[in-house]
Amino acid sequence: MNSEQNTARTRRLAFLIPLAGFLVLAGFASLALLATLRGERDMTQLPSAMVGKPAPAVALPDLRDAGSTVSAIDFKGRPFLVNVFASWCAPCRAEAPALALLSEEIEIFGIAYKDKPEDTRGFLATYGDPFAGIGIDRDGDAGMRWGVYGVPETFLVDASGTIILRHAGPIDRRVLDELLRPAIRDLAAGTKP
Amino acid sequence: MITELGHFALIMAFVMSVAVSVLPFIGLRRGTSPFAALAAPATLAMMMAVCAAFAALLHAFITSDFSVALVASHSHSTKPLIYKISGTWGNHEGSLLLWILILALFGGALAAGGRGMDAGLKVRTLAVQAMVTAGFLAFCLFTSNPFERLESAPLDGRGLNPILQDPGLALHPPTLYIGYVGLSMAFAFAVAGLIEGRIDRNWARHVRPWVSAAWCALTAGIALGSWWAYYELGWGGWWFWDPVENASLMPWLAATALLHSTIVVEQRGTLKSWTVLLAILAFSLSLVGTFIVRSGLLTSVHSFASDPARGVFILGILLAAVGVPLMLFALRGPQLASRGDFDVLSRESGLILNNFLLTAATVVVLVGTFYPLALEMVSGARITVGPPYFDATFNPIMGALVAAMAFGPVMAWRRGTLPSTRLVAIAAAVGALLLAAGVGIAAGGIGVAGLAGLALLGWLALGITADISHRLKPWKDGLARRATALPAPVWGMWTAHAGMVVFLIGALGSGLFQTEVVVRATPGQAIDVAGKTMIFRGVEKRQGPNYVTETAILELRDGTDILAFMTPEKRFYNAERQTTTEAAIRPRLSGDDYAVLGDGDATAGYTLRLYRKPFVSWIWGGAALMAIGGGIAAFGRRQRKAVTQPAGATGAPAE
Repeated sequence: MNSEQNTARTRRLAFLIPLAGFLVLAGFASLALLATLRGERDMTQLPSAMVGKPAPAVALPDLRDAGSTVSAIDFKGRPFLVNVFASWCAPCRAEAPALALLSEEIEIFGIAYKDKPEDTRGFLATYGDPFAGIGIDRDGDAGMRWGVYGVPETFLVDASGTIILRHAGPIDRRVLDELLRPAIRDLAAGTKP
Repeated sequence: MITELGHFALIMAFVMSVAVSVLPFIGLRRGTSPFAALAAPATLAMMMAVCAAFAALLHAFITSDFSVALVASHSHSTKPLIYKISGTWGNHEGSLLLWILILALFGGALAAGGRGMDAGLKVRTLAVQAMVTAGFLAFCLFTSNPFERLESAPLDGRGLNPILQDPGLALHPPTLYIGYVGLSMAFAFAVAGLIEGRIDRNWARHVRPWVSAAWCALTAGIALGSWWAYYELGWGGWWFWDPVENASLMPWLAATALLHSTIVVEQRGTLKSWTVLLAILAFSLSLVGTFIVRSGLLTSVHSFASDPARGVFILGILLAAVGVPLMLFALRGPQLASRGDFDVLSRESGLILNNFLLTAATVVVLVGTFYPLALEMVSGARITVGPPYFDATFNPIMGALVAAMAFGPVMAWRRGTLPSTRLVAIAAAVGALLLAAGVGIAAGGIGVAGLAGLALLGWLALGITADISHRLKPWKDGLARRATALPAPVWGMWTAHAGMVVFLIGALGSGLFQTEVVVRATPGQAIDVAGKTMIFRGVEKRQGPNYVTETAILELRDGTDILAFMTPEKRFYNAERQTTTEAAIRPRLSGDDYAVLGDGDATAGYTLRLYRKPFVSWIWGGAALMAIGGGIAAFGRRQRKAVTQPAGATGAPAE
């Protein structure tokens, strides 16, 4: 008898699950909306455990030179950018012009994240190739070491190979002018931001 | 004047939808039903009012009445008529009105039809449908009024984004909306059933055609969108796991599950509460999808901030439309007693497996779509999860579904298998082995996932063929009699499942055997693409109506025969300062030749992307077959004629 009641109660509780799940999601959405309305939410930088740490020294197959490898630390000695991208990523197409502009100011190392080399080549042929070197990260292992959330992501590394700054998401006009260029200028002036 | 009348009609429709939402419940509570009897005629009147409002907006667009703000900002006097018409729904306000129009038409169809339905269920379903309509009408009237006038009319409008001026895109939104909104009928039935506390086989019998019709439109709408992306975006793919695409895929997956679970309710009176929950979820996902795309939430959260009133309204509608039914479900769901007397090996179990896999696939897409969004909400970063995630999660689930698809239809209700099961099993296994081994050896270099895909294709193709030929026995006399004796839903099921086979041929053929060549070519150069030769003749500038082009001339040769001239273009729209890429496509059943022109100049050469995509058009052929199958199931004859059934050991092999 008792166990039957328990079963009935468990059964009733099970019917609450969808509502509970929905309320959690709705609460989350409401909070985000409220924050937006109050103007509290901002395009702030993602916290990254990697900022201040040395750039991971993962040797990756070189896209341009089959058989040899390339790594971010090859670029040490001068400040450089690391851009994690993929041909399947739509925002990466959007940031291509910004990267082209940046490539005139600083060397950019590209990590082709979880992408087939032939697709990457097609992407570069269509949207331009701003990279000083490109490593193939077929299984996403290097992305993991850099701690990327997804693509695109961009890191600024100083001459000693220490990560100074990280930006997740495409580089738009604002990120270019207000974040990356000042930081690059600061690095060139020899002061850390 | 007509515009003001349209606005007035919309207000009248709102008043009537509120009346239909409320009055029937007064009527039904009192036991007598003079109020309830009003529901059907009032719904029809509301439908007329919405039609009038939509016609008024259409009129404003066709006559290019630039004193209407919406027309001024989204149309142009020189646009061809078809794009003036499609411009009506090529913007937020107009597409919202299209939504409402379809909602009202569906409500009207039920009000006028619905013969044989329990009167209480029909009235309550109409009331719930009217509540949804009222919510949308309020949203439209209070935050997105399409009939707003400008104080001074401009001489001409601002035009339509060139990439949207395309016949595929003129048809895509209405088709998709019919699918989304069609699911509102299943939703209204489910909520009405919960209010009554009764879901039975009769309920399922009446809701099923609506689900089939919605699913049919949704399938066609998604296929149109994918086809457009294939030929217009010039990216060579047909599915990008883009948030906007996923927003339409999720309701499709849920609707597919719903389509199958209503069969169980109708035939066996079990799985009731699950089916009701699916109906609520499927429409909720439609709502979320529409709003997210419309509000621009997925590409940018910040459009919320641009009009806070809309964001709040959207959230309010979502809370009411999803939260209240789920609350009802928590209260009334436990009372929906289901009989559960079936074995592990039975049609019921097969369909539960189907539902489980489809739900899992929905969750996977949901997570892949909203994880980046949630991250953006929290941190402002905009990133992509992309195909690697979906390949690793979605594809295996769908693979399992395809594997089960061959067997579901040959299981018996309650327990056991049908006489044809063994035949189907042998055929499926032979098909899997033959195709995987045959193609694997002949082509070589195919990975494990590719071989598994080929095996599944062979499995499903021969499994279905064995089932159909066992039921129809085309080698015996009386084929026509046996064929016409089968109820329409069986034909619908076969057509849709065969559509899946055709789709898989396209997806696997183009996915596994595509040839892609990216070259920097100078005029005169010959490029080999999958055994054929493309000769690059050069690039010339051409003048279009409102753009100039760089057009490459490519000669496609097979040996010395010239097969075709292909002319991929880059178009520069001066007014909009926008460039679009026009791929050149030579579609054939055996595969498409596809060429895209990239950057370059005459001295350094031009970048060309050339593809050979075997069987790619079968993707849309398969989707079309699936949609036709849904249409047959929705509109075909339901009852089977009294004929002798093949004597099955465990009962009739029903739908």
